[in-house]
Amino acid sequence: MSNSLLEIANLTKSFGGLQAVRDCTFSVAEGQVVGLIGPNGAGKSTVVDLVSGFTRADAGAIRLDGTSLVGKAPDVISRLGLIRTFQTPREWRQLTVMDNVLLARRRFAAESLWRSITRARSLRREEEADREAVRAILERYQLADLKNELAVSLSGGQKRLLEFARIAAAEPRLIILDEPMGGVNPVLGSRIGDAVGQFAADGCTVIVVEHNLPFIERTCDQVIVMDLGEVIAQGPFAGLRANPRVVEAYLGMDQSHV
Amino acid sequence: MYWVSVVTEAGIFAILALGLDVIWGWGGNFDLAFYGYLALGSYMTFVFSIGKPTNSSTEYIIGWHLPVLLSMLLAVVIVVGLAAIIGAIALRNLRDIYFAITTLAAVYALYLLVANYTPLFDGFNGVYGLINPGQAALRLTYNGYRIVLLVVVLVILMLAYLVVQRLSGSPFGRMLRAVREDERAAAAYGRKVFTAKYRAYLFGAAFAGLAGGLFAIFISAFNPSAWTPQELLIIYAAILIGGRGNPRGVIVGVFVVYIGLIELTRYLPSPASRPDFSPALRQVLIGLLIILMLKFRPAGIFRERPGVDPEQSPSLAQPLPTVAPVAEVTADDGGAE
Repeated sequence: MSNSLLEIANLTKSFGGLQAVRDCTFSVAEGQVVGLIGPNGAGKSTVVDLVSGFTRADAGAIRLDGTSLVGKAPDVISRLGLIRTFQTPREWRQLTVMDNVLLARRRFAAESLWRSITRARSLRREEEADREAVRAILERYQLADLKNELAVSLSGGQKRLLEFARIAAAEPRLIILDEPMGGVNPVLGSRIGDAVGQFAADGCTVIVVEHNLPFIERTCDQVIVMDLGEVIAQGPFAGLRANPRVVEAYLGMDQSHV
Repeated sequence: MYWVSVVTEAGIFAILALGLDVIWGWGGNFDLAFYGYLALGSYMTFVFSIGKPTNSSTEYIIGWHLPVLLSMLLAVVIVVGLAAIIGAIALRNLRDIYFAITTLAAVYALYLLVANYTPLFDGFNGVYGLINPGQAALRLTYNGYRIVLLVVVLVILMLAYLVVQRLSGSPFGRMLRAVREDERAAAAYGRKVFTAKYRAYLFGAAFAGLAGGLFAIFISAFNPSAWTPQELLIIYAAILIGGRGNPRGVIVGVFVVYIGLIELTRYLPSPASRPDFSPALRQVLIGLLIILMLKFRPAGIFRERPGVDPEQSPSLAQPLPTVAPVAEVTADDGGAE
C-alpha cells in the first residue's frame, strides 16, 4: 500500500490530430496540496477532465485510492470522493445560495422521486441537520446573509466563495480546483488561499491548476509542471527555478519575479 | 352548461400542464411529444373500454370491455411505456433543440401512424362510444353527469397539484432543478443526470396519460383532428404565462389562457364574411401575451419559488452592517491576477 491517493500512469488523450496529453505519469500523496502548472495548452485542463470523467482517456491508468477511474462517469467518480471545479464558477443559477450548498451535501437517498412524494415530511426533518451544517459553512464563507438569494444574483467574487462553500459541504477526499484565482482580486485571493489551507487541514487532498505562481508557492506542498501534454517536472516549488526545462517552458521571463 | 364544459376542459389541460411543467419547467427539457401522450392515453382508454367494433367498416385494436377507471389506469401504463422508449432515445445524449426536434419527430411519426394505419385506431375516423360512463349507474341526468364530471376533474386536479407541489419543494425537485441549471456541475456533485431527467419525463408523461383518459370521457370521441401537435404550444404558452416551474402558476396560466383568451374571444363580433376571424385573433392574442410576458414579467404571474430557509442565521440576529464586506471586496473584480 502506497500513500498515494491519486495515481496517474501513462495517461494519453488526443483530440483529432492534437495530442493534448501524452504519456502523463504522476501521483499525489494523501493530504497534500499539489499545484498543476504549465503554459496554456499544456494539457492541464484535459488532465482534470480525464480524472473527473468528463473526458474519456485513450490510454493509461487513473486510480483513486486504488480504484480505477478509467471509463467511469463523472457522477460515479464524484461519489467516490472527488469534487472538481470548473474554470468559471458553475453555480445553479436559479436556486438559492442555501439550496446550492445543500445540494452539495449529496444526500442521494433522499432524492428518490417516490420517497420525495411519500415521505416529504420526514425527509424535511432529516434535512434539518444538513441545513444546520450548511448555515455554519455559509457563515464561514460570508454568505450567511445571502442564503435566500438566487445564486445568479451574486457577484463574481461571491460566486467563487459559493464554490468553496459547496466543496466544504461535500466533504470530499480529493478536490481539484481548476484556476480558482481567475479574475479574483488580492483580498479575495488571500481568502481563497485560506480556504485551500482549511481543506488541507481537514485532511483533504487538493490539486490546484493555476497560473498565479505566488498563489501556488504560498499554498502548495508539491508542484507538477506540464508542457505540451507531458509532465516535465515534479517537486517542491523552490526546486523548480533550478530546473532549466521548467524555466524554458513556463517560468521564462517571470523567473526574476518568482 | 357551456361554462361547466369550458372549466372541465381547462381542468383537464391543467393536469396535462402540471406534468409538462415537471419535464420542462423543472427539468428544462422542451418536449414536443407531450401532446402525443395525451392522445395515446385517450385512444387507449377508448379501446380498453368500448368493446369490439359494432360494424364491419370500423376497426381498432383490443376492443375490451373493461371498467373505465381500469381502462384509464392501463392507458397511463401504456403511455409511460411509450415515454420510456422516446425518453430513452431523446434524453440520453441530446440537449435543447436537438431533444426538441427528436421528440417532434417522434410525435409526428405517431400521428401519421395513427392517422394512416387504420387497424390501430381506425385512422381518421377515430374511436368513439365512451358516452358518459357510469351515468346510468349513478342515476344522473345528462346535465347532472356533466357537473359530476367537472367535480371529478377538479378533485383530480387538486390531488395532482398536491403531489406536484410536494415534489416541487422536495429533495428530488431541488436536484432536478440543479440538473436543469447546470448539468455538468450536477454531475460533478454526483448526480445521475440522465436518470434524473428520465424519471421526471416518465412522471410527467403519466399526467398526460391521465389527462388523456379524462379527455376521452369528456369528449366521448377521439380522432387525429383532436390532437394536432400545435395544441401543445398553447400549453407551453399557459405555463410561460402562469409561471414556469411554479405548480400554482401553471394552473392559473392554463385557466387564464383557456378561459380568459380562448373562450372570451368567442364573444367578440366576427365579420360574417370571415368566420376564421376569431380563431386567428386568438392565436395573435396568445402570441402577443407571450411577448408581453417575456418583456415585462419573464418569470410568469407566479415566479418559481426557491426554497426559502426560514431559520435566521446567527449573523442576522445582530443588526446588519450597512455593506456586507464581501460585496465591498468584490465590487471591482479582475483588478489583479
